[in-house]
Amino acid sequence: MKHLPKHLRPRWRYLAVELEAWPDADVSQGDFQRSVWFAAQNLYGDTGSADADLRVLQFSFEDGSGEALVRVRHGEVERGRAALACVDDVRDDPVRVAVRGVSGTIRAAEEKYLGRPGESAAEASVAFAGETRPAVRRGDLVDVDSEGGYVGATNLDC
Amino acid sequence: MYEAVHANPDGDSTVARFAATAASVGYDGVVVRSRSDAQPDVDHEVVAEEYGIDVVSGVELDAENTSQASGAIANLREQATVLVARGGTPELNRFVGESQRVDVLAGPMRGRGDVNHVVVKAAERNAVHLEFDFSRVLRASGGERVQALRGLRKLRELVDHYDAPYVVSVDPESHLQLRAPRELLAVGEEIGFDRDQIRTGLESWGELAERNRHRMSEDFITSGVERGRYEEDS
Repeated sequence: MKHLPKHLRPRWRYLAVELEAWPDADVSQGDFQRSVWFAAQNLYGDTGSADADLRVLQFSFEDGSGEALVRVRHGEVERGRAALACVDDVRDDPVRVAVRGVSGTIRAAEEKYLGRPGESAAEASVAFAGETRPAVRRGDLVDVDSEGGYVGATNLDC
Repeated sequence: MYEAVHANPDGDSTVARFAATAASVGYDGVVVRSRSDAQPDVDHEVVAEEYGIDVVSGVELDAENTSQASGAIANLREQATVLVARGGTPELNRFVGESQRVDVLAGPMRGRGDVNHVVVKAAERNAVHLEFDFSRVLRASGGERVQALRGLRKLRELVDHYDAPYVVSVDPESHLQLRAPRELLAVGEEIGFDRDQIRTGLESWGELAERNRHRMSEDFITSGVERGRYEEDS
């Protein structure tokens, strides 16, 4: 279909989002998009969710950390934020979602908030709570693989 | 703005990890509200210094009934800066609301819990802060969430009417469950709160910590009576 003349095109805001999960989490763009849609629909219903029109445009995720760019209708930024806060898991992997910033163009969002070279994850063996345990270290952050699942720690703890 | 967290071994993340995450999303401090039998063994000041965020010692009492609660409150009061007592039944809510030594009545609407004007008035009189517990708003769905929202609304109406003190928390058990203050403002607005209410609720944790630190300091004798500057000279 021919695209709309400029003054009739919807106006968007772009939310730069950071994601964090346990190191064994497997989160794809499609799954994250589904979770965002469900969160929006559960929070403010079909009408509100259609208004906000949240869409995940860019996505990267590896070893328990990632970032995404989420588009939302101009004027619905706060509702978009609320829906993103309600995303607590993606396919049963618990995730933390935080909005780093909001921009009016994709490029500005990318330049200001995305593409920060994150610390790469490395397997390590750490002393935690008096035992030596396998762990995944990402900069200062350490996810310790303990008996009852992962424990989030930092270099201060081990 | 502060958040109150269940740090390992009560939760899945250590105090340091909570502090690091909370600092990165814009909190001024965290209150450690681990249960008394699962208190983390860390030096809060070291963590606070490392991540540039206030770390407040606290303890959460999860009593089964009022007689158990009454003994434990006296014991735990001296142990921590902020004393949080979990409600959950109408009797327990009322008992905690009437306990002057408790700072926060946590999760009053959870499970069978319910509040009425008596509980809220008592809490107001005794400066027991009622908690707006956002955990199930953010992490549950369907009927459970509807119940949580209904509970929050009832509590909000009562708190508004009696001008009772309150706190807001997402009751996180791991750093993944933390949400930034701005996100909570947005969620709060969506479910019927004012943005200012949520902000006040998050700030109240910090005010409680400050007040209690002052009370526990050596200069404080009783309300209105303090050791002055000139005592040593006289």
